[in-house]
Amino acid sequence: MFKVMNATGGYGKTTIIHDVSIQIKPGEIIALLGRNGVGKSTLMRFITGLIPAMAGGVEIDGVKAPAAVTKRARMGLGYVPQGRFVFPRMSVIENIAVAAASNGHDVKKALKEAMDNFPILIPKANDLAGGLSGGQQQILALARALAIKPKILLLDEPTEGVQPSIIDDMAGVLKRVNKEQGISILIAEQNLDFCLSFAERAYVMERGKIVTQMGIDELKGNKVLQQELLGV
Amino acid sequence: MELDYLASVLVSSLSSASILLIATIGLAVVFGLMGVINLAHGEFLMIGAYSALTVTQLGLPYVLSIPVAVLVTMAIGAIVEVLIISRLYGRIFDTMLATWGLSMVLYQLAVLIFGTVSPGIGMPQYNIQIGDYNLAGYPLLMIVVAIAMLVFVYLLMTKTIYGMKARASIQEPEMAQAIGIDSTRTNTLTFAVGCGLAGFAGAVLLPIVPATPSMGFAFVIKSFLTVVVAGPVTLTGSALAAIGLGGGSSITASFMTSVAGDVFFFLVTAIILWLYPLGISAKWRHKL
Repeated sequence: MFKVMNATGGYGKTTIIHDVSIQIKPGEIIALLGRNGVGKSTLMRFITGLIPAMAGGVEIDGVKAPAAVTKRARMGLGYVPQGRFVFPRMSVIENIAVAAASNGHDVKKALKEAMDNFPILIPKANDLAGGLSGGQQQILALARALAIKPKILLLDEPTEGVQPSIIDDMAGVLKRVNKEQGISILIAEQNLDFCLSFAERAYVMERGKIVTQMGIDELKGNKVLQQELLGV
Repeated sequence: MELDYLASVLVSSLSSASILLIATIGLAVVFGLMGVINLAHGEFLMIGAYSALTVTQLGLPYVLSIPVAVLVTMAIGAIVEVLIISRLYGRIFDTMLATWGLSMVLYQLAVLIFGTVSPGIGMPQYNIQIGDYNLAGYPLLMIVVAIAMLVFVYLLMTKTIYGMKARASIQEPEMAQAIGIDSTRTNTLTFAVGCGLAGFAGAVLLPIVPATPSMGFAFVIKSFLTVVVAGPVTLTGSALAAIGLGGGSSITASFMTSVAGDVFFFLVTAIILWLYPLGISAKWRHKL
């Protein structure tokens, strides 16, 4: 079980998320929905430890997560940030290898898995990551996060600026790793179709708070609710 | 013989360029790669030189004094990173002020401990004959040393896990942490490696450039300019810039005067930076 408890945090003295609590069961796929600027990315950064907690905390498999970002990653927290942030002057291979090696995993095996999952990266293997297209970088950022063998994967706007065919590939791989490796996924998205296609449950955020949670079927059937909550 | 003369000028200019490159590689790591403007970098060269000198005076063979110099400068570098640099990442002017202060402290410490003049160690005596011209062997050996240093740093940074972690921590510090790299410790090590390279330079150049408290100052300006001209692909760029600027100024100096050589260096640097404000490697697609 992965828990975020009473998360309160922000930047400097500005509090952006207030008292946010979410729970994710092993192997669950959860959507985090809400309009622009409601604090979805801030919550993601809170979970990784990249912004300090003003109150509240994170629990992974019943263990309270330490404050250090590095330690949380090693406990199995994978993160694909909005904007990708691949290492630009490192090759595709190096981007994946460094993630695997930093967590004590076999580099060759990690690279093989990444290339099997994302054949689109094979012809680009030795290119610098900074020269890839936006979609390719997104795939690389996802492959890099999977290389640490996460228990829970945080995806922040993974479809933003990515062409539809790559979005489909991405959805396919996410469904597979979720099923085969039991990785839980928390995904913040504006692209509702993408979320609805495989999430099981959704939390909806408004002004830094979770306002409601619901099963995805409930949301699928209710256009008025979609409009109201997300402005879509 | 005209041709012999040309050849000897060319070889000795290449040797001058190599000496510049040896003094620069540490800075290419600290400033080029990490983006830290360490104004005390020249003093690490000086510390390396004095470490080697002291150890030699205590009776150890010169060759063995070089690793000692590397270890001493790496250790001091690590301490400086933890106490000063790590608190100032991203604050360029504060870093400059702090490291400028540090350079004055280190300089004065050297004056207090060693005095302003110190004995050099004799240059290992062997000569190389090109036609009628006789060139001292040790400076020529520096060409090999410079190449070896370049290859070492390149392999260290591209072929080892540490090297990948180091580059990741520098390029995207937050993401490096988020994939489990301890970037704080990695940065300390990288800064120490840069200082160790400066210490190596001070020690290996000791037979050519005697240890004095102010010796770092002589190198650091040209070294900084070399790394600035090099741009983002810092290692290859620095090698090319050192050969072009250092070699060019040495050739100019041997046909005219050493002042003309320096004028060449600074003038060409100014022109290159006017044409390529981000350095010659701004558009290259290479790792280092």
